Amino acid sequence: MSSPSAVAEAVGAAPDPRPRRAFRVPRPGYLVTKLAAAAVSFGVTLVIGFVLFNVMPSDPVRTMTRGRPVSEAQLAALRVQLGLDKPIWERFFDYVGNTLHGNLGYSWEYQQSVASLTLSRVGPTLLLMGTSFAISVVLGLWLGMRSGWRAGSLFDRVTSSTALTLWSVPTFWLGMILLIVFSVGIGPIHGFLPTAGMSDPTLPQTGMTHYLDVARHLVLPALTMVLVVYAQYVTIMRSSIIEEKGSPYLLTARAKGLTDDAVRRRHALPNAMLPSVTMIFMHLGGLISGAVTVEAIFSWPGLGDLTYQALTIPDLPVLQGTFIVFSASVIIMNLLADLAYRVLDPRVRAQ
Amino acid sequence: MVVRESRRIRAMLAAACVSGLLVAGPAALATATAARADSSTGATSGTTLRVAMDSSGVDTLNPFTAYFNGALDLFGSIYPSLTSIDENGVPGPYLADSWTLSPDHLTWTFKIHSGLKWSDGQPLTAADAAWTLNLIMTNTVAGTANGTLVSNFASVTAPDATTLVIKTKQPQANVTYVSIPVSGIPIVPQHIWQSHVADLKDYKNDTFPVVGYGPWTLTDYQTDQYAKLDANKSFLLGAPKYDHLIEQLYKESDAAVAALKAGQLDYINGVNATQFSSLQHTGGITTAQAAGDGWTGLELNPGARTRSGKPIGTGNPALSDPVLRRAIAQAIDKKTLVAKVIDGQGQVAAGYLPPAWPQWNWTPQAGEEQSFDPAAANKMLDAAGYKTGADGIRVDPKTGKPLNLRLGIHSDSSNDSAISTYLVGWLKAIGVGVTIQPMSMTALNSDLGKGDWDMLMDSWTTGPDPTYLLGIQSCSTLPGDDGNGGNTDAFFCDPNYDKLFAQQATIFDPAQRAQVVGQMQDILYKADVDQLFYYATNKVAASTKVTGLVTGKPDNGFYPAQTSFWSYLKAAPVAQSASASSGSSTGTFVGLAGAVVVVGAGAVVVRRRRGADDRE
Repeated sequence: MSSPSAVAEAVGAAPDPRPRRAFRVPRPGYLVTKLAAAAVSFGVTLVIGFVLFNVMPSDPVRTMTRGRPVSEAQLAALRVQLGLDKPIWERFFDYVGNTLHGNLGYSWEYQQSVASLTLSRVGPTLLLMGTSFAISVVLGLWLGMRSGWRAGSLFDRVTSSTALTLWSVPTFWLGMILLIVFSVGIGPIHGFLPTAGMSDPTLPQTGMTHYLDVARHLVLPALTMVLVVYAQYVTIMRSSIIEEKGSPYLLTARAKGLTDDAVRRRHALPNAMLPSVTMIFMHLGGLISGAVTVEAIFSWPGLGDLTYQALTIPDLPVLQGTFIVFSASVIIMNLLADLAYRVLDPRVRAQ
Repeated sequence: MVVRESRRIRAMLAAACVSGLLVAGPAALATATAARADSSTGATSGTTLRVAMDSSGVDTLNPFTAYFNGALDLFGSIYPSLTSIDENGVPGPYLADSWTLSPDHLTWTFKIHSGLKWSDGQPLTAADAAWTLNLIMTNTVAGTANGTLVSNFASVTAPDATTLVIKTKQPQANVTYVSIPVSGIPIVPQHIWQSHVADLKDYKNDTFPVVGYGPWTLTDYQTDQYAKLDANKSFLLGAPKYDHLIEQLYKESDAAVAALKAGQLDYINGVNATQFSSLQHTGGITTAQAAGDGWTGLELNPGARTRSGKPIGTGNPALSDPVLRRAIAQAIDKKTLVAKVIDGQGQVAAGYLPPAWPQWNWTPQAGEEQSFDPAAANKMLDAAGYKTGADGIRVDPKTGKPLNLRLGIHSDSSNDSAISTYLVGWLKAIGVGVTIQPMSMTALNSDLGKGDWDMLMDSWTTGPDPTYLLGIQSCSTLPGDDGNGGNTDAFFCDPNYDKLFAQQATIFDPAQRAQVVGQMQDILYKADVDQLFYYATNKVAASTKVTGLVTGKPDNGFYPAQTSFWSYLKAAPVAQSASASSGSSTGTFVGLAGAVVVVGAGAVVVRRRRGADDRE
């Protein structure tokens, strides 16, 4: 996989493992620039969020009340109640004003505030996404490091091909297969895992039994997520390790008489980590938006599915509200990534 | 070397841990709770019936503002209504033991059953019903979901605890359908709700157990997950046979079917044709088809216009010609659609009202049936002057433009896409070109309202009272001149139809009313604006450990419409056999064994790696 030119570039770019300087508080200028950039991104996001959802051809009132005996007067009243009778610029200013006041709006479909709707689903979303994220990062980075270090070995070939195969598999299909094998059972295997939800309603909803029960329900959705996404970390880590492997500083480290493990761990790994860290932070920001397919298959009460449901009406306050939450989360995580980079990479600190 | 060796061991341990987490996790956790009892018995004391909640879920537990079917099913179980709908689809007693109508057809007097108590012990009287209905009539928020149902009510009073008097402004035949389980108005306890009138919009009604009266009491609801209910053993219409009811939300119907096969679920109302065919051959599961309560069909834009007759939208003007519409109707082979699209699980449609409610049943008179006859359709179009162009597409004689029609379909419906491919071929055979336009439901609705369409796939379901479904075909539902308002289904408008619509609302003899409703269906059938293809059956699947879930007697292989109200009330556990539990523990052991094998394999891989290291 490692082309000579890539190695050459890596050699050029590789920093000397100089003794680390203590972390300085970033210059106010740097922080201000980054904060300003984040604020601008957020502003642009607000506009995009509004335009995107409002230009969609839709008729929320008819869609929402379809099949229910509603009179025309009621439809008209509903239009007024939802603010759909106002001109679009007025709705835009209402939306911006409300957002800046921390008010995410009021769901049309669920008849409750978007904040409370979102809050009730944040816990389950983060539990599922956090667990699968942590496992895939640890597993992916570890496998990537190992297979990159011995690129071309049997271990590398098995790891990389397995990871890429799973990465190419449709999430929906994999989830259904796992559901059928582990919940329903196939041939000699009897199903033993729950098919849906986050807990078994017949068990007490508190204490150790409850935690174990939630863990049981978490297994299949988290497993599906891990299997589908861990390949990203494997491939990124693998290629950065391969790039670092040829670096002269590693030769120096070996010449000092360090063991292979120590060279990999103390010298190659920290440099190879940088691209992965970027990706980890990017994904951290996206965690809160959940995973629509996995949540749908395993009926996990998460935010991804809420957003999808809202899109079918479309429930504009929910869409706009969750869009703001999701974007804010990505923007904050990017900001943190920028700051973390200063800690991890001395070169950035010089900027 | 010692250091190196310990690292290897650490790495091996890590590998084992990770693969363990991934694979042994399920097994380990399974053992922790493997001793769990079978789904039908449950861990809580007593028997538990586990059913799949309607996939729409619950939008809110506030019965005044909820729209979703998942919520309506719950309200049907936990709040009473004035009347119930019996197995023949006609109103029967519930809170009201009996009712009478004054000779002027304006005053209804309901005799409310005496001695009933809400689940908190407070008396349930006619005053509660009067208070609920009055609130819906007078409070805009309270009327959000059901305001229309009482819009013709002049007053509702409770002169004493067992008498409820409803006066209507105009004679209204369907008063006994206004408060029925699930699709009608639920009666709520006044002593609980009167303090929430001010904040009705925000009141979530999530203090458990929810005070109500019905076959069940709601004891817990977890957002987007499940509702837990306890049986009301002193229920007026017979005690539920189960002690507990759990409605679990499955967002994906395949997952619900998997749960049914795994024994984690006892009942699904509404599986699709593919799932039904597979479940028919699955052991431990019974299936049944109930007569469909809705139709699937095609709408043709007959010339969209506003209430005052101003044309709107971009619909193809050719479709205002009844000859073309009739030709399209004759070009479509409904029997093939039933056989191929829904696996034969349904009936070819003709009348506008579905067979689930046999009292409104209407069939075209002999000689007036529109049958599949492309040759006749072609002949008809030739005679009307639609000449065929060089590309095989006919030309509209009025505009001189080729007959190319747009066909809007629901992008998330596999049935729509299957039907639309047939339609393209069939309409090509009569010289009509079709462009399929898949759209989201909401985009379709938007185009529909503006008249920006030629043909749309459409489907509707209805409860036992057809007023609403009939209403969306009346002229009064056309949009106003500003293009807003209105809830017309297909811009159909016929004064004769409207006259009959007004007439049927005031006919109190069911047979006579059905006859007028039949004439209305005749008008719709002959107009070819709503071309109905089929009534798909409502397919249910249940565990064989439960009996009684499927209610009524089959007629011609089809059961009457299945409602959650009666199904859950009549469901009863079948005596258990002992074999089920041993099977699940075997499963655990097999799972554990599998996990051990995989972890072992992982360890071997790591060992091999270690060997490779050493070889270097």
